[in-house]
Amino acid sequence: MALTDTRPETGTDVTSVAPSVVPSPLTIFGSGDHKAVGTFYVLAALVFGIAGWIATALASAHIIGSGSFLSETVGTQVLQTSKIGLILLVIVPLFLGLATYIVPLQVGASTVAFPRAAAAAMWTWLLSSGVFVVASFIEGGFGGVRAKSVSLTLLALGGLIVALLLGTVCVLTTAITLRTPGMTLDRVPMFTFSMLVGGAIWMLTLPVLFANLVLIWVDHRYGGGTVFGASESQFGQVSWITHQPQIYAFLIPGLGIVADVVATLTGARLGKRNLLLTAIGAFGVLSVGAWAQAAIYPSFSEDLVWQAMGLLILLPLLLLLGGIAAAFKDGKPSLKSPLGLAVVSIVLTFLGVFAGALLVITPLELRTTNFFANGQAILVLGAALAAGAAGIGYWGPKMTGGHLADGIGKLNVLVMLGGGILGGVSLCVVGFASRFSGLSGAQDTLVVISVIGSALFAIGCILVILGLASGARKGAPEAGDDAWGTGQTLEWACPSPPPTGNFGDLAVVRSPEPLLDEEA
Amino acid sequence: MTAHVLPPAPPVERPRVLVVGAAFAAAASFMVFIALFGVYFTARSDVVGGGSAWLPEGSTIPLQQPNTIFITLIMTVVTMQWAVSAISKNDRVNAYLALGLTLMLGIATIVMTTYLWTLMELDIASGLQGVLIYTITGAHTVMLVLAMVFVALMALRALGGQFTARQHDGITAAAVYWYAMVAVFALIWISIYITK
Repeated sequence: MALTDTRPETGTDVTSVAPSVVPSPLTIFGSGDHKAVGTFYVLAALVFGIAGWIATALASAHIIGSGSFLSETVGTQVLQTSKIGLILLVIVPLFLGLATYIVPLQVGASTVAFPRAAAAAMWTWLLSSGVFVVASFIEGGFGGVRAKSVSLTLLALGGLIVALLLGTVCVLTTAITLRTPGMTLDRVPMFTFSMLVGGAIWMLTLPVLFANLVLIWVDHRYGGGTVFGASESQFGQVSWITHQPQIYAFLIPGLGIVADVVATLTGARLGKRNLLLTAIGAFGVLSVGAWAQAAIYPSFSEDLVWQAMGLLILLPLLLLLGGIAAAFKDGKPSLKSPLGLAVVSIVLTFLGVFAGALLVITPLELRTTNFFANGQAILVLGAALAAGAAGIGYWGPKMTGGHLADGIGKLNVLVMLGGGILGGVSLCVVGFASRFSGLSGAQDTLVVISVIGSALFAIGCILVILGLASGARKGAPEAGDDAWGTGQTLEWACPSPPPTGNFGDLAVVRSPEPLLDEEA
Repeated sequence: MTAHVLPPAPPVERPRVLVVGAAFAAAASFMVFIALFGVYFTARSDVVGGGSAWLPEGSTIPLQQPNTIFITLIMTVVTMQWAVSAISKNDRVNAYLALGLTLMLGIATIVMTTYLWTLMELDIASGLQGVLIYTITGAHTVMLVLAMVFVALMALRALGGQFTARQHDGITAAAVYWYAMVAVFALIWISIYITK
């Protein structure tokens, strides 16, 4: 490629020394290499994912029969901790890790913006996550029995949010300021664009969660715990992040992953790309849910805006589905596991958003119990996890330098699909059927099915880790620069795994698919 | 012999990484206060709507100290912009002076804020008023301290000769965060101190 302009950033010079494939904590301790930081985020998030989905299964199992599986206090705390944990310990860091690794490559940058801040954010997140887990075990958590443990939980969550916001600032700043010449914002790859949208929404809404936590902590610690810090009201003040529309905000980067995976593995350019970018933007706008807090606005679910958002968000999703379907029609789909996982993700996304649309229709009375909303949350979070798994399968060869075992990935397609259908849809059915006394007997059976679904997601996390390990093992087929042979975006123009500095000289980008232009 | 004077070099085209990052940090900090004010106004509306006074009996918020703080912070906006303007003209002496004054006025603001807390006679455990007012003003003080650390770090970098007329993003970034902090106090001044 010809160098026709000066690259904007002044990063480290490219060297031919490839980094170790899967960094050990020792090698990345103190490292500001975005690839090491991103990989560690991803691995840690997957480990937390195993625990988080097991906790979700336990919380569901608790409501089977007489509810004696766990004590009432423990059961409630496991449910609350698993919900918050799946978002802040699994889904957000999973996407943030992928973004920290991939976004600089997609925009042609030699590094992430503020690399040391990105590393500090990762370590802070990891430390805070550990403290959060420990505090939850020692009678902390929201409304926990031991006051000091509750304080510890709140402080850990505060640290988590600050860390995730700092990591997001690094990624957003990279996408805005370090793009290679010619890469205008409408030419950035779909994942980068979706991180811009999703990250912006996180920047607007996670500080609101932080403010909630500060109020709870101040009242709990110094104010006597009678208002915001009251045990029974603590979770209610933060639960808005687990409900729609806010829960959709944690899914946004997944939409970009799905679009990138589909474009590459069908070998087709995404048609009407600007429309798809607008759809992702609209999805983001309609997922701002920090205002829908039951604690300060108890009647938000009767608000026309809330109901309209729940219905309207289907439109951008349908536009995206149309774009993806067109890519399948125009291209030649390669039956690889990342494509299967992308399809699973988009199916679960549609089911989750459709369930959300049903939830806002008051005459259906789906808000009388929590079952339907819990089922919808499992569908949305499962869709996000499947998108993350698709992204790891897709960029795994870039990260490890070797092709991942596709058999493991294909097994994961079934596992994730089963997890979503069994875990989410069954709870939605319970929520729907609970209005009819004749169907109430089926509740326990359906909840057992949901437990199995949640357990499948935990297995899915294990399979993703095994898949990554298969790419990193000695003897794995070398991925080369463009692992799929049909790569369209800049990350496929650098070696796998990328060396320090990522790229040599890059040409001026003239379209959203610079590698296809080069071939032409 | 005629002396040929070359025209000044054009500004370097460079990504304003630090300025953009600081703007994001400022936006996130701002959102924390937007959320706190959302809770504050809701709670105050409920209390006042119920026929009670917002502040508990015996509590008072004097105006002299908040006004002094606000005027002090407005002065810091001037000194901060003075620093940006000076460094952009390579006037390092004025830049150091302006940054030093900004930090001193920041310390004065912290002193005045803590003094105001002692005058309010508002117990944090008195109910939601105490929790909300101390959380919001305390969070602003934390934001002020963060802004001061940012300015101090950039001042040290300036002293180390890192900033020039052509490259002074660090000072500009610190100024962006500082202005956001002052804007937050303007909201506090109106919402908590004036319309109490």
